[in-house]
Amino acid sequence: MVAAVCCSAFASSAVADDVIRFGAPLPLTGPLAPEGIKQQQGYDLWAEQANKAGGISIGGKKYKVEIVYADYQSNTPRAVQTSEQMITQDNINFLFGPFGSGAAKAASTISEKYKVPTIAGTASSSQVYDQGYKYLFGTFTPNDTLTTPLTQIIKSQAPDVKKVAILARNDLFPLAIAQEMEKSAKANGFEVVYFEKYAIGTLDHSATLSQMKSLGPQWIFITGYINDLLLVRKQMVDQQMKAPVVTMIAGPAYQEFIEQAGQSAENVTSASWWHPAEQYDGKDIFGSTSNFVKLFKEKYKSEPDYGQASAALCGALFQIAIERAGSLDREKVRDELAKLDMVTFFGPVKFGSNGQINSLEPPVFQIQGAKPVVLFPQAIKQGELKLGVN
Amino acid sequence: MLVAQVLINALVLGCLYACIAIGFSLVWGVLNVINLIHGSFIVLGSYLAWGLYQSLKIPPWYVLIVAAPLFFILGYLLQRLLLNRVITAPVLVTLTLTFGLDLILNNAMIYFFKADYRKLTLSPPIGSVSLFDVVVPVDRLIATASALALTLVLYLVLRRLRVGRAIVAVRLDRDAAVLMGVDVKSIYAIAFGLGAALAGCAGVLMALIFPISPLTSSTFLGKAFVVCVLGGLGSVSGALAGGLLLALVEGVGSATIGPAHATTLSFALLIVFLIVRPQGLLGRKGFE
Repeated sequence: MVAAVCCSAFASSAVADDVIRFGAPLPLTGPLAPEGIKQQQGYDLWAEQANKAGGISIGGKKYKVEIVYADYQSNTPRAVQTSEQMITQDNINFLFGPFGSGAAKAASTISEKYKVPTIAGTASSSQVYDQGYKYLFGTFTPNDTLTTPLTQIIKSQAPDVKKVAILARNDLFPLAIAQEMEKSAKANGFEVVYFEKYAIGTLDHSATLSQMKSLGPQWIFITGYINDLLLVRKQMVDQQMKAPVVTMIAGPAYQEFIEQAGQSAENVTSASWWHPAEQYDGKDIFGSTSNFVKLFKEKYKSEPDYGQASAALCGALFQIAIERAGSLDREKVRDELAKLDMVTFFGPVKFGSNGQINSLEPPVFQIQGAKPVVLFPQAIKQGELKLGVN
Repeated sequence: MLVAQVLINALVLGCLYACIAIGFSLVWGVLNVINLIHGSFIVLGSYLAWGLYQSLKIPPWYVLIVAAPLFFILGYLLQRLLLNRVITAPVLVTLTLTFGLDLILNNAMIYFFKADYRKLTLSPPIGSVSLFDVVVPVDRLIATASALALTLVLYLVLRRLRVGRAIVAVRLDRDAAVLMGVDVKSIYAIAFGLGAALAGCAGVLMALIFPISPLTSSTFLGKAFVVCVLGGLGSVSGALAGGLLLALVEGVGSATIGPAHATTLSFALLIVFLIVRPQGLLGRKGFE
């Protein structure tokens, strides 16, 4: 037993000589598995590209990238445990945050305790970053950066739209973004005629939708994940609900939503933190947005979405920070991350003093002809807003 | 008009819930097995319908003809080869066995089909019918009618056929049935096969309505469980009554106190039933 422990300790320290280990706790099974697998694809793509180029170079020496995965089974307490285990037993050098705002916040306590720089790829809620932590960074801007531009576009381009109905999945991110939507709608002079939450795992929305329909909203705003939104959208069609504007977050950013919803996805608007149609000329390992999309398609035969892109970005940012620090010293790498101010394939990256990115302009888009068309920001706009969702 | 719409929605949804629960109720009622694999059978049925529509354009209502015998055989074999070995053990043992089988089937589906959500979208769409201002989607009507038909078939099988009477006899008194020359092991296998066939058929019909993913199996199982407790075990009409009651509570609850509390309300009702009327609305001892 003692011998085995010694051996494994030797083995890992021997490995640590020319390899940099990144810990990635992910929900690879359980309800969040689809999201967890997407994040894994992003990390893997980055690791593959980094290793193909010889690895990460520190003072002229190349270090291979190794990602240590652990499945926390969509269970937040286990995500915290896993993160600690990675630091204390798996000897990882740096950490990626677990999926979503809730788990990322919970696990950030651990990385702060051990002073391990951590980048969270899918945590947007500002509550994650207001803890005064020094070692946590995040690549999603706060939720209001999605709803504010959306509200302004509708206000200026659809002046007849006055009444908004909001339906939110009763879950951390979907509810937070619905609340931001309510705020920005009110601030821009819309009347919020309906605001309700539905429980996780709801199998039927017919009563809710009937009630919403009776209020005659012109803008229907619904949050949830792909399964919820596919179901709600189908039941809207079933009940012959029509509105000039229908917005759904976060389904339409995924190719599979567009494929599975088919005709009913037409003219649905949405917003996300990144979009494959963006055209940034980055200084990271992926370079341009189009190069990232090309590499992703070659490896996975599908269109990348913002989750996969953000995961790949987290890796690319660590690589830059490590190379700039010229060392694996956690303190130095942390300082380099805090200092970053550069353009990447994902967009401009600069972290605020709380660690959350504050340089991105998240795109607003609409499904037109079974393709997402970017409406905002102006610089990458691809088309005009179309009214009428039937 | 909103009231009429909410009531119609609940009526249709209630029949869907009954459809989800009927096989579960049969197995629980006759075999005294809480069949945790039921939800995964439903999802598997949905994949069958989805696959046959994607590849051969066969509409789900024809798939029922294939699904029923396929799932019957699957269920029959599972009971014959595995469950019969532990059927006389305490209920926890069979529960654990079906739990394990469910893990295997569910993860196999995640492996083969991925956890991505899929949707069976008929083209051209079959749309909705409206009477005055009340709208009812046609696919739900088809599923409702089929659910009622399946319920009727099961009722007739149990009432009229020799094998049906044997199932009821085994449920009423196992030992007496043995003395009358009933082959209990084979009756168990047939009952479990019927339960599986009903689950598979429910899945085929649900494919028209709900997004398909292995992850939804636990939601279906949860609904089936609540429906059985509310409606009561031991009768075909119990599942129907339980389904309607659950849908009504959820629908009216959603429209009055908000959708966030509809589930809470239905589980509160479940607890009340367990305390006040543990046999459910129409529960009784045998399976009629």
